[in-house]
Amino acid sequence: MIEWMTTTDHKKIGIMYMVATMTFFVIAGILAMLIRAQLARPENDFLSAHAYNQIFTLHGTAMIFFVIAPFGLGLANFLVPLQIGAPDVAYPRLNATAFWMFALAGIVVFSGFAMYGGAAATGWTAYAPLSEIAEGTGAGQDLWLLGLLLASVSTILTALNLIVTIFLFRAPGMTMWRIPIFEWEIVATAVLILMAFPSLTAVLAMLLIDRHLGGHFFDPAFGGNPILYQHLFWFFGHPEVYVMILPYFGIITEVVATFSRKPVFGYVGLVIAAFAIAGLSIGVWAHHMFTTGAVNNPFFSAVSFLIAVPTGVKFVNWIGTMWKGSIEFSTPMLFAVGFMLNFLIGGITGVMLASPPIDYDAHDSYFIVNHFHYTLAGGSMFALFAALYFWFPKMFGVRLNETLGKWCFALMFAGFNVTFIPMAFMGLEGMARRVYTYPNIAHLGLLNAIATGGSVILAIGVMVFFADVATSVFAAARRRVPVAANPWGGYSLEWATTSPPPEFNFEELPPIRSRRPVLDTVNS
Amino acid sequence: MKSFVGIFGCSAGFGFVIALVYWWVAHEETVGTVLLGVMTAALVFAAIYAVIGERSARLDGDEPDLTNADAAGEDLGVFTTSSPYPILIAAGAGLGLLGLLWSPLIGIAGLTVVVLCLWRMGAESSRV
Repeated sequence: MIEWMTTTDHKKIGIMYMVATMTFFVIAGILAMLIRAQLARPENDFLSAHAYNQIFTLHGTAMIFFVIAPFGLGLANFLVPLQIGAPDVAYPRLNATAFWMFALAGIVVFSGFAMYGGAAATGWTAYAPLSEIAEGTGAGQDLWLLGLLLASVSTILTALNLIVTIFLFRAPGMTMWRIPIFEWEIVATAVLILMAFPSLTAVLAMLLIDRHLGGHFFDPAFGGNPILYQHLFWFFGHPEVYVMILPYFGIITEVVATFSRKPVFGYVGLVIAAFAIAGLSIGVWAHHMFTTGAVNNPFFSAVSFLIAVPTGVKFVNWIGTMWKGSIEFSTPMLFAVGFMLNFLIGGITGVMLASPPIDYDAHDSYFIVNHFHYTLAGGSMFALFAALYFWFPKMFGVRLNETLGKWCFALMFAGFNVTFIPMAFMGLEGMARRVYTYPNIAHLGLLNAIATGGSVILAIGVMVFFADVATSVFAAARRRVPVAANPWGGYSLEWATTSPPPEFNFEELPPIRSRRPVLDTVNS
Repeated sequence: MKSFVGIFGCSAGFGFVIALVYWWVAHEETVGTVLLGVMTAALVFAAIYAVIGERSARLDGDEPDLTNADAAGEDLGVFTTSSPYPILIAAGAGLGLLGLLWSPLIGIAGLTVVVLCLWRMGAESSRV
């Protein structure tokens, strides 16, 4: 225990990130099931309005700040030094500090449930002036603010560490144009974090000042401006969406290339697309504010449309990589294909919502809930499971069971779509998001019942994953046969070392003369 | 370091262009221009620092034909494998923030822990 609490080894810290994020994922999943139970039928009173507000606030907060984004960075912690041939990250103790700040941040946010008045209940966006009313929101909102402040500082520290590591600690011969695409996506993500997260830190600090030190930044009664809050929040908030997707684009690229038995198609195009997405994402923040009437809609609409172009480039490259490949549909590859199908739907609804006339109609409706879940749950979460199945042998020396893995994928894919497709129709029928109950009109009762049924299937799929982990680890402990260094036939440098890797990662580094050093060694 | 300068320089250039376009089409929304302008300034600072401060840096990773044998003996510094201070610093930072809510004494105690741990961590670094 003490060894893990004091470790500065990037692999152990990466694993701790993933264990922590999966713990928060389970909590967020339970909250999601409570939401679906409440909405299963019209005019339900399973939860009170205040309890429902707390639950959807913490569900969103957990998934965004404590699951999807940090899992990508946690995986980067584990993989970056391995893929570039480094013994560790550039600043191991800073790395450990950032992890513990992140873990503490999660505990602080969730401890709101134990406070008088409950946890934060103003949504993951905590719009001012609602979130400024100290009497109405209580200590739970304060803990939410402090937790997110800690998490934002932790994320900035991790981004700095990863940038320095990738630029300065590459092994001899590992030029920037030879590093795996996952590394490039992490560079783009880290630069994006450095550009966007200071805005979050600033707006949270301003909100704290308003709540406790007599400030009036966002209080219109004293000359403050609530629109300023939205600008500062979304200047972070939209890039954050790409912080939650770019690492997962990297995962998908690695998985697709490995299981198609082909080099990555359009390597340079993928790198340029990653930076184009990161750059453009800085200029789209106010498309979340179209309906305020206080922003320049044509500018933000045009830039939002533009983002579809580099994203489309990525799809072309993934399909090009698979084209005429010797494709093996192992569990990671199934999750990668599931990612592409789901993310495509999320991307297309995103392009629709970039148009202000459509956004005016769909704003704050369940159509939006459908859209962002297709990008972040159907997209990032499926890539997260692809990563877990793909790199689990490297992390723990245990290969997960393929049959259970395929059941996990099938149940999650079916459950996800049965849950979220009806939400598009709920939105079109006018159901507002964040309402704790709804009248029995149109088809809302039926659509919600289907969505709740789908969420049960999805939850069973997730449980199959945990059962897979438990049974595989138990079976491996009985067999006592270590998994091979390269069980999937991977090409990047992490597959050149043992599973799990030794301290400081490599007994001996292979020569690096191309983007696929492990295959070079095998073929030579 | 060419790639570092390239990425931060291009990002700064992109930030400048988008800030200019934004100011042109939406000059009544000062906050957006300020956000994009400050972001651009920070990126320019990073790129200029890399150009001036790290001009002479030669990295093994930038040499496509360098072998492991050629690079042998390169000093990457010492990588610590464990330290008690990171978790204490995180706890101290958490206490420092909670002090904002509940009591300045808690905040001061937290900040004291952070300062002491940073000091000891510095001593630990100089030992290794």
